[in-house]
Amino acid sequence: MQYKNTYSSRQVKWLNFSELVIQKAMAGLKAEASRGYLGVLWWVIEPLMYMCIFYVVFAHLFRRGDENFILFLLTGLIPWKWFHATVATGASSLMANFGLMNQVYLPKMIFPLTNIAINTFKFLIILTVLIVLLQFTSVKVTWVWVFLPILVLTQLFLITGVTSLLAAIMPFFPDLRVILDNVLMMFLFLSGIFFDITKMPESVQQYLWLNPMATLIVMYRRLLLEGLTPDWLHVFGVFVFSALLLSLSIWLFRRFDRIYPKIIF
Amino acid sequence: MISTVNDAKVLSLANVGLYYSRRQGFLKRSQFWALQDVSFDLFAGETLGVIGKNGVGKSTLLRILAGIITPNTGKMVIHRPGFRISLISLGAGFVPFLNGRENVILSGMMLGATKKEILSKMDAIISFSELDGFFEQPVNTYSTGMRARLGFSVAYHLDPDVILLDEVLGVGDEAFKIKSTAAMKEKIRSEKTVVLVSHNVPLIREICDRLVWIENGKTQAQGDVKEVLDAYLNSVPLGAK
Repeated sequence: MQYKNTYSSRQVKWLNFSELVIQKAMAGLKAEASRGYLGVLWWVIEPLMYMCIFYVVFAHLFRRGDENFILFLLTGLIPWKWFHATVATGASSLMANFGLMNQVYLPKMIFPLTNIAINTFKFLIILTVLIVLLQFTSVKVTWVWVFLPILVLTQLFLITGVTSLLAAIMPFFPDLRVILDNVLMMFLFLSGIFFDITKMPESVQQYLWLNPMATLIVMYRRLLLEGLTPDWLHVFGVFVFSALLLSLSIWLFRRFDRIYPKIIF
Repeated sequence: MISTVNDAKVLSLANVGLYYSRRQGFLKRSQFWALQDVSFDLFAGETLGVIGKNGVGKSTLLRILAGIITPNTGKMVIHRPGFRISLISLGAGFVPFLNGRENVILSGMMLGATKKEILSKMDAIISFSELDGFFEQPVNTYSTGMRARLGFSVAYHLDPDVILLDEVLGVGDEAFKIKSTAAMKEKIRSEKTVVLVSHNVPLIREICDRLVWIENGKTQAQGDVKEVLDAYLNSVPLGAK
């Protein structure tokens, strides 16, 4: 069915679209902030708790950690948490908004994008905390840190690609949700957060580098802890991969935009 | 009643059918045809009633008109592409922890208005909803009636070109019913095109220009209100409703 001149000009246009994503994201953040007694504080406390748990388990239970290990761990966990939290919730964003999408027409991509915006905001808060924390350690701030935003943007691109694609597919295969939880757990262990992938045997290493998050985490560590410029080839690889996922998801959202509300799960 | 119908069509449906996809046991999906063969025209400025036995067909039809879902068979042509066609729903997407003001902005933007537009209409929306102090309170402290009033106020003030009503006038307390009915009737008497889904026969007789009877997913009759109503009422077995 062709609806070229009918729905395209109607309701949410592009400027509205980004305005709406921002508005919904702010609404979500405000709603979170007014919950419980600690409200906004949880945006800092929750990630800190998360990191403490991993630190205690890996530094004390599994190996004698030194001060370096805690920094090593944090620079891996913080980017990972951003990725994990966004993908896990964003993937089912269409299902979560089933009622809303049946009451008013909205371009469905709004739902994962809002999720991404919210989680990115929270990530930026904790990233700032990390950077401040690093000032109190032996880590030196070098001019290389100028490249940090590029790493962040690349990761944002990756997260957007993965989340959007999953969000577009999930309504057709709700079972994916269960699979996704476990796949994410697998990637948690394969992303070089608890160990250094560059120290792994060559045969294993080549596979580990295929994981875009593992690549990015190595780059984050090199930049923040060692003051080295990122390996642009690898970063570009992640970028291209993300662009592919994103294009596919945009195509899917366009195609099924007015079909999603007809799927009852 | 005086009808301000001009002959320009807003949209036309021809043999429209639509199915929902439902999980049916293990690894299978089944098609549930909510509409099978629906055809009618909607003319500018008229109030079109939609009547039929209870079922999902009528809500589905409104959703198709609102652009939320697309038909699987048949053809739908919109003759006025710029028209804003809105489903009046009561509190679409209200975020419970946010207050009335923030929800109005959100709701309005989702219905297609820009932030500026809503802010300019905020005062009118507030006074129409009669929420007073509650406006700055989180909406999860509202009663259903209050949420209905606010949602209705937003949708009403955004002034869509085509208004789709799904028996909304029957919701809420007595005061709200009177107020929303009066407000809708005023819109109806104006240039607005309205599609009203209702079981309320006296209401249909009073405000509709034309009527469509849809049952079992098919158009059974359309046209003059009296004729279609007679046909519809004759099909209902005596004593049943």
